[in-house]
This record gives sequence, structure tokens and C-alpha cells, in this order.
Amino acid sequence: MAQDKSLRKRIREKLDDEVLRANLGRFAEVYPAARAKAFENVPNLEELREKLRIMKLDTIARLDEIADRFQAEAEKRGVTVHRARDGKEVKEYLLALCRKSGVKRIVKSKSMVSEEIDLSKAFAEAGLHSRETDLGEWIIALAGHKPSHMVMPAIHLSRYQVAKYFSTEMSRDIPPDIPFLVQAARQNLREEFLQADMGISGANFGIAENGAIGLVTNEGNARLVSTLPRIHVVLMGYEKLIPTIRDAGTILRLLPRGATAQLATSYMTMISGPTPTMVRRGGRWVEEQKEMHIILLDNGRLKAARDEKFKQIFQCVRCASCLNVCPVYTLIGGHVYGGHTYVGGIGAILTAFLSGMKDFKKINELCIGCRRCTEVCPGKIDIPGLIEELRVRSVREQGLPFPLKAAFENIFANRRVFHSLLRLASVGQKPFQSGKLIRHLPLFLAGLAKDRSLPAIADRPLRDRFARVARKLDKPAKRAAFFSGCTMDFVFPETGESVVKVLNDLNIEVVFPEEQSCCGKPVAALGDIETAKRIARMNVKAFEDAEADVIISACPTCTETFHDYGELLKDDPAWAERAKKLSAKVREFCSFVAEEYEKAGRLKKSRGGRKVTYHDSCHMRRVLGVHVQPRKLIEAAEGCELVEMKDSDKCCGMSGIFGVKYADLSMPILKQKMDNIKATGAEICAVACSGCMVQIQGGLDKQVPGVRMKHIADILAENLEKKK
Amino acid sequence: MNQAAKHWERHLPEGKYGAHLFPEFETRAKAVSAEILRVKSPAEARKALLDLVQSLQAKKAVAVSCALQEKAGAHEALRSAGIQLFTGRADIAEHAATADVGISGVEFAVAETGSVCQKATAVEDRLVSMLPPVHVAFLDSSRVLPGIEDAFEVFGKVFDRGYISFITGPSRTADIERVLTIGVHGPSRFVVIAVDDAGGEGR
Repeated sequence: MAQDKSLRKRIREKLDDEVLRANLGRFAEVYPAARAKAFENVPNLEELREKLRIMKLDTIARLDEIADRFQAEAEKRGVTVHRARDGKEVKEYLLALCRKSGVKRIVKSKSMVSEEIDLSKAFAEAGLHSRETDLGEWIIALAGHKPSHMVMPAIHLSRYQVAKYFSTEMSRDIPPDIPFLVQAARQNLREEFLQADMGISGANFGIAENGAIGLVTNEGNARLVSTLPRIHVVLMGYEKLIPTIRDAGTILRLLPRGATAQLATSYMTMISGPTPTMVRRGGRWVEEQKEMHIILLDNGRLKAARDEKFKQIFQCVRCASCLNVCPVYTLIGGHVYGGHTYVGGIGAILTAFLSGMKDFKKINELCIGCRRCTEVCPGKIDIPGLIEELRVRSVREQGLPFPLKAAFENIFANRRVFHSLLRLASVGQKPFQSGKLIRHLPLFLAGLAKDRSLPAIADRPLRDRFARVARKLDKPAKRAAFFSGCTMDFVFPETGESVVKVLNDLNIEVVFPEEQSCCGKPVAALGDIETAKRIARMNVKAFEDAEADVIISACPTCTETFHDYGELLKDDPAWAERAKKLSAKVREFCSFVAEEYEKAGRLKKSRGGRKVTYHDSCHMRRVLGVHVQPRKLIEAAEGCELVEMKDSDKCCGMSGIFGVKYADLSMPILKQKMDNIKATGAEICAVACSGCMVQIQGGLDKQVPGVRMKHIADILAENLEKKK
Repeated sequence: MNQAAKHWERHLPEGKYGAHLFPEFETRAKAVSAEILRVKSPAEARKALLDLVQSLQAKKAVAVSCALQEKAGAHEALRSAGIQLFTGRADIAEHAATADVGISGVEFAVAETGSVCQKATAVEDRLVSMLPPVHVAFLDSSRVLPGIEDAFEVFGKVFDRGYISFITGPSRTADIERVLTIGVHGPSRFVVIAVDDAGGEGR
């Protein structure tokens, strides 16, 4: 709990940090379009991403062979290759090398490995003069900060702050003028390059075929670091290995475009074997063969490579595309959403393997699972999925914190208790309730309802109303069992009624298995697989007994969770087949209805009318892949005209419990959504997910009162009423 | 040392490269602040180089020769114009850091990214293209490949060992407030003199 507070405090600090918000905010605004523009002349982007993924998987499958070949080819050409188990070994090797070779001055170009192992500290302690030459890295070294972004480490600083650090370093007044600052850095570091005994660089890739390393940079410092000093050391993690020279082409076409929206960085360099350098000997310039070392670092990477689920992290090319589209990262940056060295979504996973689970757990709840990162990752890594898997493993090994454990096992997994509590809440909320909303909460809870009204628990949940709403049909075409999910049951029962009306209108009989409960997603998302399984079994039994042709859910998260019951229970022989059979029957409401309407010729564009904008739920769009059909339903609805909002597919900020537990983060994300809705001039914001319903209704009520939220089911049902 | 990589032009993919790709290369290169001076002959190249060097008010230059520079009589022209020119390895080591301009040749260009490709194993090639504030690269304008993957088809055949660079415009950074600044540790100006009538093969 103490840690929690400190995280909350740090989140608040970053949200209030105007420099960070401005810099990151501006970047987040422009990045998606800039990236898309950069990829315009890559006609087969999906193929290229798949090529990278397959290449990396192949490398992992033969990792020992590839690493051995890389070493052999490099050594054949005169490079000394050292395989280091951990940071301690790297530092010992380097310090010994410096002693042996009389190295006093070192220049470094960007290397995340060097930060991972705290190399600068080791050099300082050994009395060696070592300088960062990458501008961003040098700035944060002067500031005493960690990098807040993997590609732009100093993005959290303003020119004024940089000028202050430079002025201190150079003992003179340096004005906060950016071109001037850059020139000052060039002049100041130039001598360092020319006088250094040793240059240390990272590597963006290492080619087994000829023992070459690649450097993808813009400033020119890596070229100097790898040219001027008489010793060149390359620090490289195992994940950089690729089999052939031609494989580097795949990386070079993806990395710059993803990282900085450039077609190519100013310098993309490949070095195979030591190259000549010029040294002064006896007053004359003499050409000598450089001494070249490559250090291949494990530090936890090899454990990931052997893990069936986590070997995926080798597909990371360190482009930071995931950070750039992450709704949470782009609000608070890497100092909070980050570990010791690596930040953002992929950073959390790397932190788990390279720093340990304890560090991972400090930040893991910051991933809201919106899956935007999966759309842009060049290596197609399932970042949110891996984070969830880490939570599962953590719970399996260490269990849940007691309050959560008690809540999950005794409430969520116990339908009667859960529903009783909800009914009690519908009574207890009365002093604060204003119709369907809770607009004001007392005292210390007041902040919770400040920019977003909370939904009231309904007087009569859906399950109590069902019998009256569902029609008896003579010769129904199908029998559907309705899986409402807890939110639609207890908070938006009218929407549940709309779903029933729309299905009945399609001559589909609807039943509501009363033994159904929460789908289990909130529990599963936090890693409690055992409770999730218990809940799954309850729901499978409830829906088996319904003997329906199809199971309809009007919430994509519930749909997805139910779909996964087959996988979840696959190791339980009594349930595996049953769960699989049922999962196959589950359909999401909008896509199901759109299909039926299309068959019946009811999906034609209407004459238009009120402006309706549509918010894509993360799970609807990026898990179920449904985004065309809901729009078609709106366009076909009488009296409705679809207008698109900016970033329609960006998360609303709810993400289940996150929206309440991390309200500080949820609100700015919600605000962006509110601004985008407002800008469309629409009267209605249509959604298709229960979680989004809560968040968007609450936000509109406080921030954009002229606009109403409606589930697509409600729009369709209203039109059916009008027709009567 | 560089035997395997000596004749890159022999390995350019038949039928895939040519001057018809130059406009695309030029557009993309200019978009990232590279300066492209396309000339019809080695004689025009000489003039373009002289004009440039004079506009810089350059006093000192370092150069690594190539066939195009030789055909253009570039070195004689620079010396005649009163520029102090160093072309030997030891001289380049001594003077590159204080030279006003560095001159070298590049092997081919890539249209997809607006890049040129430099064979830079020889240390002097790297010194002249890294240290002076202006880098001038001589290019045969017919040697433009479509894309990065085509370049790697060539590398697959010639890159046994050594130092290769794609160069795409001058050095740059956006590390401070994401504001783009041209010219950091590498050159702040990158000029390509692209010669049309390069006079055939052989280097």
C-alpha cells in the first residue's frame, strides 16, 4: 500500500509537469500520422512485419547456433568476442581491458545495455574519464536523470532546463536557444572524440553471417566513436542477433520509420571486423588496425529465449513505437511508467526479465490493455498479452494481496453474494443518486465524481425485468441465450432490454440463464486464473442448460472472455470439451445483428438525420476486429448520420477497474475523448461496450452536457419503437 | 584488405537500377535537407564543386579521390582556386578536424530512402565524411537502386568485412523538445554532386 501511494504521488507529479505534458503530448498528437506517412512507400507493411517476426523466431529457435556463428565469424575477422552472463562480468571485463590497454578517456554513443548495467557509475568509480556523446544521453547524464523514453531520453526536459545544465557544465552562460545548445554540445564533445582512447557503442543488430554489427543513428556520434579511438567496444544483448546480412535490410526498413517516422536515419552503418584507424606515434600519423571487442550480454535474456511465451521479446527492435501510441505512457512518461532502464509496455516486460518481478509489479497495473501498441509494433509482439501472463505467473507464485484475494474468491466467484451486494448498493447510493447518475460524492470521495459522473446501480436489474420484456415467438428462427455481463445487468438494464427487443424483432427467441454471473475478466486481468476458472465453469454450466443455438453478448470484453473459456479450461478434462463447444456459439451483438440485417436487406444507408459519432471499444476493434459493422448499423439507422471523431479507436480510459483505481490517469484520457466527441458536433456518441458506456456517459454528463451516450442496441431498439 | 568489396558496381542488380530512379532519390534526399547538384558532365561537376567551395569561403579541404573526381579534374581545380587540399592518409588524419569541407565518392544511391551508400573501410573515407562541417559526395547518377532490400542484395555479395554506411542527409537531432536541429556531431551540410555522363565503368 505504501508503494501504491508513492506511485499515485508520482503519477500526480507527472500529470502536473507542464514541460513533460507539453513535449509528450505534442509528440503523441503528431506521431500516428507521421508514422503512417513514413510507411507510405512500404507497400507491404504487414508482410514486412511478419518477415521480421519469423526471422526473429527462427533466430531464437537456433540461438546457440546463431550466437556461435556470430562469434566465429567476428573472431575470424580479428574481433575479440566475450559472452557475459551479467552486468558485473561486463564491467570487470571492461575495467581489465582499460587497465591492460592504458585507457584513460572513453567516449560512448547510445547503448541501452550500458545503462542497464550502470556502466557510467563503474567508470566513475574507477577514475576513468567517460563521456556520453549522444545529445539526449549527455543531457540526462548532466541532469542526473534516467532516460524517460527509449529513443528520445531527454524528452521530459525543456530548453531552459537544458541550458541550465549546460551552463553549469561549461562554466559559462548558455542561452536557452536550441540551435545554440546543439552547437555548444558539438564543440564541447568534439575534443572528447579526438582525444579518446576507447569508443563504446551499442548495436542495433548483430549479423551472424559475417560477424557484423549495425548502428542506426542521426547525430554522427556513433560513427566518430567507432572510427577515431584505437579501441572500439560494442555492447550487445543477445536479442540483437540476426542470421544474415540481408536480414538487416528488414530491420532497417522498419526501425527508423517506427522510431522517429524517418525513412532512414542520417547514418545507418555496418561494421564487420576491426577497421583501420590513425594514431599518433612519435610525432607522426600512423595507420593501425583498431582493436575491436564485442560483448554479448545475457543478464536474463536467455531465460526469456527459452520461454515459450516470452521468447517473443526477442522480436523487439527497440523502436519505442509502443510507447508513442500508449495512452498512459504519453501522459506520464518513462520515469513513472518504466523500470530501471526500459520504459513503457515493452519496458515493463523487459524489466521483469532483466531487473526482476519486484520491479515489474511496481508498474504493471499501468498497462490498460488497450492493445494500440500491437498495431504498431514492427515485431508483432503481444505486449498486453505478455503483461497479463506475467501477472498470472506472479499470482501463481506469490498469490494476490489479501484484500483482492478475499474479494475475488468470496464475491466475484460467488454469484449470490455479488448480486446481493449490488442490490444493496442500489439502496445505499440513494443519498447521492440523481436519476441514473451519481453526480456528487461526499468528502474524500468527491474527486471520484468530479469530471465524470458515476452510474447508479439500477433499481431493478435486467434479470428482474427479463420476463416482461422477452416476447414469446411462434416459430422462432433461432434460440439465443443472452449473456449480459454484470454492468448491463445491474447498471444499464434498459440497454439489455434493447438487445432483447432487437433480437426478438429478428424472430429470434431470447432466454436469460439466471445462473450467469460476471464473465470473470476483472479477475483474469489481474492474474487470478483459479478464480477465473471457477467463474468460467459456472457460466459454462448456466449456458449449457439454456440449450441455445447462439449465445449473444453486447459487450466485446465479455464476448472475448467467453470465447477464451475453451482455452482457459483446456487442462480440465471434465470441462474442456464443454467449454470449447459453448465458446464456439458466442457472438458479439453488433456484428451478429449487422449480418442478419444484411441478409434481410436492412443494412442500406438511411436518409440521415441526427449526427451520431462512434467510439471504438479497444476490445471490439483490436481483439474482435469489429469496427465496420457497428458503423454500418448506425448509417442504416433511420434518422441517424454517422460522423467520425478523431482517434475514434483510442481508449476511453475505463479499462475496467483501472478507471476507478487510477482515476488520475483515467480522467485525462477521458478528457481527450470528450474533446474529440465535442469537435464532431454530434448529438449522440454511440458505443458498443458496457465499460465504455460507464466512462463516456459519465464524462459527457460532466463535460459535454449537450451530447448523449447510447449503446447501438438502444439506437436500434428506439427505431423499432418508432416504427410501431 | 578490402578485396572482396572492391568492385561493387559489378554486383548491382541487372535491370533494376538506373537514372530513371534518380528523381525519386532526389526528392527524398532533399526532403531531409541533403543538397543535390545534378550535372551533365564531369566538367560541369568541376564547376559545381568550385562554386560550392567558393560560396563556403573554404580555405582548407580534405578529399579521398574517386573516378568521378579524377574525370572532373577536381583536385587541380581546387588547388588552382587557392584551396589548401590534402589527399594523403596522414595529411587527412592531421587536417580533417579543421578542414572546411570533406570530399569523397559514394557507390550508389537508394531511391526508397533518399540515401547514398558509402564504402568506408579506409579510414580516410570516414574522416573526410565525418569531421568537416560540410561533406561533398560524388555520385554516378545512373547508379540508383530502387530500395534498401536491393542494396542488401548487393551487400550480400560484397560485404565480407569492412565499414559501410548509408548516409541520408546531414547529421541531425530532435533530442531537445523534439525540435529538429540540423548539424550535430557529423556534418551540418551534405551535398551530392550527381554526374550524368560519368563516362562508363571502371574505377
